[in-house]
Amino acid sequence: MIVINLDVMMAKRKMSSGELAQRIGITQANLSILKNQKAKAVRLETLDAICRNLECQPGDILEYRED
Amino acid sequence: MSKVKNADNIIRYTKIATIIFIALVVVADVCGFIITPYIVRVWAERYDDFALIFLSAVYYVGTAGAYVALFSLYKLLNNMSKDIVFDKSNTKLMKIIAICCVLMGIDCVIGTIAWFGTIYLGTILFFMVLIVLCLRAVFEKAIEMKDELDLTI
Repeated sequence: MIVINLDVMMAKRKMSSGELAQRIGITQANLSILKNQKAKAVRLETLDAICRNLECQPGDILEYRED
Repeated sequence: MSKVKNADNIIRYTKIATIIFIALVVVADVCGFIITPYIVRVWAERYDDFALIFLSAVYYVGTAGAYVALFSLYKLLNNMSKDIVFDKSNTKLMKIIAICCVLMGIDCVIGTIAWFGTIYLGTILFFMVLIVLCLRAVFEKAIEMKDELDLTI
């Protein structure tokens, strides 16, 4: 399964979820769906915005784990 | 409110039609004591008491089903005008409508004992069940797709 490690990256950059949500341009509810691993898909556009704002690579956020 | 003006109009007119139909069923229920003897004596040409009582029973059971189905349809249209379209409650209402139509169809088939003509109504009802069930299947697929879309961030 694909795990989204958004919490770790946000902690490293010392960014709150409210601030990140505002910067990416999505609602906080949607950001929490993303963080709680409930999302079924991520738009490349969203991933792009996250990477730009957290100054990281997609690999830093997304991780593949054996089920 | 949705921007689709045409759809809004269709929903509004269907709502009015549904109210008229409910009123017609009320009238049919009130005037049942005139209509049922007419059907039995004139159309079916049967003069025994059994046919009259039997057809009256079938008639009133049928109108009861019609009330439930029409009221569910009204609630469905109400939901749609509030922009609650692809929702689980709507598929539930469609299920109720389909069940009512099946029961009314069976009722009509039983009614053939008193007057053969009810079979025509029964056929229409069974066909309507298929249409409603198809619509329900479409809605269920749409709900599934909507869920997927809602969870795409």
